[in-house]
Amino acid sequence: MKKVNTIFFFLLLFLNINIVLAENSQKIHIYDLWINEAPPTATVLVAYVVLKNNSKRLMTLNSVSCPLFSSIEIHRSIIKNDIASMERHSMLEIPSKSTIKLSPGDFHLMLFNPKIPLNTHDTPIFTFSFLDGTQIPVTATIRKRKDMMH
Amino acid sequence: MLTKLSNSKFLIPAMAFLVVLATGAGFYISLKQSQNRQERSEVSQGLFWPNPKQIKDFSSEDHNGNIFGSKQINGKWSFIFFGYTNCPDICPITMSVMVDVYRNLTTEFDDIQTIFVTVDPERDTKEKLSSYVNFFDKNFIGLNGEPENKNSLVRQIGIAYFSNKEKDNYLVDHSASIFVIDPKMRLIAKLSPPHQLEKIIDQFKNIKRFVDEKG
Repeated sequence: MKKVNTIFFFLLLFLNINIVLAENSQKIHIYDLWINEAPPTATVLVAYVVLKNNSKRLMTLNSVSCPLFSSIEIHRSIIKNDIASMERHSMLEIPSKSTIKLSPGDFHLMLFNPKIPLNTHDTPIFTFSFLDGTQIPVTATIRKRKDMMH
Repeated sequence: MLTKLSNSKFLIPAMAFLVVLATGAGFYISLKQSQNRQERSEVSQGLFWPNPKQIKDFSSEDHNGNIFGSKQINGKWSFIFFGYTNCPDICPITMSVMVDVYRNLTTEFDDIQTIFVTVDPERDTKEKLSSYVNFFDKNFIGLNGEPENKNSLVRQIGIAYFSNKEKDNYLVDHSASIFVIDPKMRLIAKLSPPHQLEKIIDQFKNIKRFVDEKG
C-alpha cells in the first residue's frame, strides 16, 4: 500500500510539473529571436525578439542570459535632434494580452563579449527570466546583414 | 503743385495704375520666393545652400594605413557617417543602408565613395575599423575621428558626440545623420534619419542635378 502511495505521489508531482510548464509556455510566447550578423571582431552584438503576453496579468522580463555572452542588457535606441543615443532598461514590462516587438532602431538586446564569432548556421539558446520566476529557453537564429531590415 | 495734381483728371487712373503695379510687383516677388522655396524643398531639406561650407585641406590615415585627405575627397561625391564599431543598433542599420545606397549609385556614377569616421578612436583601432568597414563593403573607407586635429572631418563638419568612458562597455551618443561632400569639397547636405534607400537615392540625384546646374 505504501508503495502504491509513493508511485501515486510521484505521478501527481510529475503531472503538476507538466501543468506548470504548460502554463508558463502559454502565458508568455517568445518568438522570432534573431541576432544580427556582425564583423568577427565585434565585441557587442544585437538581438531582436517578439514577446507576447497571453496571460491576464503583467509580465516583467528582468533578465536574459546566454552562455555565449558575458552579459546581456535591454536597451532602447533613441534619435533626438539628430543625436543617436541608447538608454538602458533594467526590466521590460509586457502588459496583459499584448505584444512587444524588439526591433532595429528601437528596443533591443545588447549582447556583450561573444565567446565565439557567430555564423548563420549557429543556433544559440537564450533564457528569458521573468519577475514571477518563469524561465523560458528560446533558440536564436543569426541573420545576414542584408536581411536586417526585413 | 499738389493741388494741381490732386485736381488733375489723371489722378485716379494714375493711382489705380500704381496700385496695380504694386500688387503685381508684390505678387511677382512672392511667386519667385515660393518658387525658390519649392526648388530647395524638392532638392533636399538638408541642403546647405547657398553657402555650403568649404572643406579645408586635411590629412588622415585610413583603415589600411594609407594617407586619406583632401586629395581623396576632391573630385568625388562622399557620403560620410560618424559612428563607432561597438554601436550595435543605429550604426549597423545606417551602414546597411549606406551599402545599398553605394551599390545602387555606383551602377550609375563612378565618383561615389562612402566613409565611416569613428567617434570612438580609443577603442576603434585600425584593425577593428578595417574589419568593420570590410564587413559592410570592401570599398568602404574607415577613418579615425582624430578629434585633436583641428582640420579633421569631425572638427570641420562640427560633429557632436559624448561618452562616459568611466563605465565599462561605455556607449557614445553621436550624430545619426549622413553628410554629403560634393566633388568641389563643399559640405553640401546633411541627410537626416530615418535612412531609407529610395529616399537617399532620390535626395542625392536631386542634389547632384541642382549642384550641377548651380555650379
